[in-house]
Amino acid sequence: MSGDSLPREAGDKLQQIGSADVAIGILPIPGAIGENTLPAIRETLSRLGGSVTCVILQSEGPDAEGTPATVSGMFPQSAPGASLQSFFNAYRTVFTAADQLKARACCVLGSDSKTVTADWIQRLLQPALEMEFDLVTPHYAHGPLEGLLNSSIIGPLERSLYGLRIQNPLGPDFGLSRRLIERMVSAERPHPVAGIVSTAARAGLTICEARVGARLYPAMDWANVSTLFAEITGPVLQDMERNAPFWQRARGSHAIPAMGETAARAEETEGADVGRLLDSFQLATRNLQEIWQMVLPPATMLELRRMSRLPAAEFAMPDGLWVRVVYDLALAHRLRTISRDHLLRAMTPLYLGWVASYALGLQAAGAPPAEQRLEQLAMAYETAKPYLISRWRWPDRFNP
Amino acid sequence: MLEQIEQALNESLTRMLNMAAGLLPGMAALILALFAATFLAWIMRVLLRRSLAGIRFDERAAGWGFPLLVEWAPSRRPTLLVTRVVSWVVIAGGFLIGVSAFDVSVTSQLVHSLFDYVPNVLGALVVLLAGTVISRFLARSVLIGAVNMNLQYARLLSAGVKWLVMVLAVAMALEHLKIGAGIVQLAFGILFGGIVFALALAVGLGSRDAVARSLEREAGRTPAENAEEPFRHL
Repeated sequence: MSGDSLPREAGDKLQQIGSADVAIGILPIPGAIGENTLPAIRETLSRLGGSVTCVILQSEGPDAEGTPATVSGMFPQSAPGASLQSFFNAYRTVFTAADQLKARACCVLGSDSKTVTADWIQRLLQPALEMEFDLVTPHYAHGPLEGLLNSSIIGPLERSLYGLRIQNPLGPDFGLSRRLIERMVSAERPHPVAGIVSTAARAGLTICEARVGARLYPAMDWANVSTLFAEITGPVLQDMERNAPFWQRARGSHAIPAMGETAARAEETEGADVGRLLDSFQLATRNLQEIWQMVLPPATMLELRRMSRLPAAEFAMPDGLWVRVVYDLALAHRLRTISRDHLLRAMTPLYLGWVASYALGLQAAGAPPAEQRLEQLAMAYETAKPYLISRWRWPDRFNP
Repeated sequence: MLEQIEQALNESLTRMLNMAAGLLPGMAALILALFAATFLAWIMRVLLRRSLAGIRFDERAAGWGFPLLVEWAPSRRPTLLVTRVVSWVVIAGGFLIGVSAFDVSVTSQLVHSLFDYVPNVLGALVVLLAGTVISRFLARSVLIGAVNMNLQYARLLSAGVKWLVMVLAVAMALEHLKIGAGIVQLAFGILFGGIVFALALAVGLGSRDAVARSLEREAGRTPAENAEEPFRHL
C-alpha cells in the first residue's frame, strides 16, 4: 500500500461511514494505543459539545460504529526500530482518510499513549475545529536532553527559514484544519511530516502551538543514530530545497499563539556521560576529513580540528560554527556534492559533537538554563541566515 | 653483357619507381586521414572541454570519488585528461584508417586485428571505470558506517573493501584484454585471498584488543542500557 491509497477494507468502511467532523489518527508506534486512549477521546468529544462526529483511524483493535466510530487496519503496525518511512506514510494515510471523510479537523497522535490525555487531544483539536487555526503544533515540556535532534537542527532551522517560532515543527502530534488537509493531499505532494509547517507557512495559514505537557521520548539506540539522523534531516532538507524561493524572502521570526498552560520541566543534566559522544566525534575527525572537506569550508575544518584536540572538560562547539555546519550541510544536500545518504551519515558525528558540547555547557557552573541556551542557538541560526542565502544563491563563490 | 646489366638495372629501377608510385596514393591517403583526424580531434577537444567545464566535471569527478583520476590527470585536472584521451583516440583511429589505405595484405591484416581488439579495450576500460566507481562508493559506505559504529579500525576495513573490488575489476579487465588469462586468474585468486587473509590477520591479531573493545562496546549494549542513556534524540 502506498501512502496515498487507503487499504481496501478500511477504505470501504470509511465509505460506509460517509463523513465526520473530526478524524483522529493514532499512528502505528509501539504503545500508541493504551487503555486510556479511547476514554480520553470520548472525554474530549464531550468537552467539544457532544454533537461532534468523530472517526478514529488506527492500525489495530475492534471496529466500532457510532461516535466515535473506529476504523482499524489503516496502517501496518511498525516494529520497534523499523524505518521511519512507514511512520511518515501513516501520516499521509490519515490525511487521505480525513480528506475522504471531509473532516473539519484532524488530529494525529504519534506519542506514547501513557502521556496522551483528554487535555492533550483537546488542545490539539480545538484550535483547528473551533478557533480558525489551520495548524496546531505540539509544545512539549521536555527535559534539556530530550528531543535533541529537534532542538539542535529542526526547530531552529525551520524558525530561521520561515520566521515562525515553533518548538516541534515535526510533531509528531498535530492538529490540522480542513484547509490544510486539502493542501497536504494535493497534487503538490509535500512531505507528510517535514512539509506540514512549510505548506501552512507558504499558504499563509494560521498556526498555533498547543502546550500539551510532558511526552515520553523513545530511548536512544546507539547503533541507529546515523540512520535516525538521515531519516529525519533528509526530508527536512528536501523540503527546504523545494521551498527555497519562499524562505529566502523571510526575515527574522515571531512567536505564534500558544494554547494551554506552560508545564514545568526538569533541568536535570547531572550524570550525563558525554565520553561516548566525544569518542564518536574524535574518531570521525580522524577518519572522515576527506568527506567533510567536500562539504565544509576550510575555516570550519580548521575549527573542527582544533576542537578535536581539546580535553573533554574544555570541549565546546560554538553556536556559530554549528549553524554554519548545518547550513553547509543543507547546501551540499541540495548540490548532491556526494551521495545524500553518505552526506547525512557522515555528518552524524558532528551532531554528536554538538550534543556533547551542549550537555557539557549545561553542566558547567553558572550556565544558563536549557531554554535560554536553545534560544541563543536559535538566534545564531537567524543571525547566520544571510550566510545561508549567499551560499545558496552563489555556491561557487569563494568561501574561506 | 653490359646491355643486359643495364636492362636489369632499368627494370629494377622501373619496378622500384612503380612500387613507389603505387605507394603514393596510400601515403597521400594516410596524410589526409591524419590531417582529418587531427582536425576532428581538435574540434572534439574544444567541444568536450567546453561541455565538461559547463557541467563542472572536475568538481563532480572529485565528488563521485575520483581522487585517483585527479592523481593520474596531467595538471591534476580530470577535464584535461578526458579531452586528451579522446583526442588521441581519434588521431589513432585516423592513423589506422590511413594505414589501411595501403593495399598491402600484412598491413590490412594488422589494421583489421587492431580494430577487432578495440571492443576488448573499450570493454576493459568500462570494467575498470565501473570498478573504480563501485570501489570508491563501497569504501566510503564502509568507512562512514564503521565510524558511526565507533569502530577504531574503520579506515582499515574501508581500504580492504576498496582494494578487493579494485583487484576484482583489474582481473576482469585483463580477462577482457585476453592478457595472460590463466596467470591472471591465478594471480587474482592469490591476491584476493591474500587481501582477505591480510585483513583477517590485521583485524584478528594486530588490532585484536581494539576489535574486542569495539565489539564489546557495540554488541554488548542491551535495550535496558540504551534506555538508561539520558540523551533522547527524536
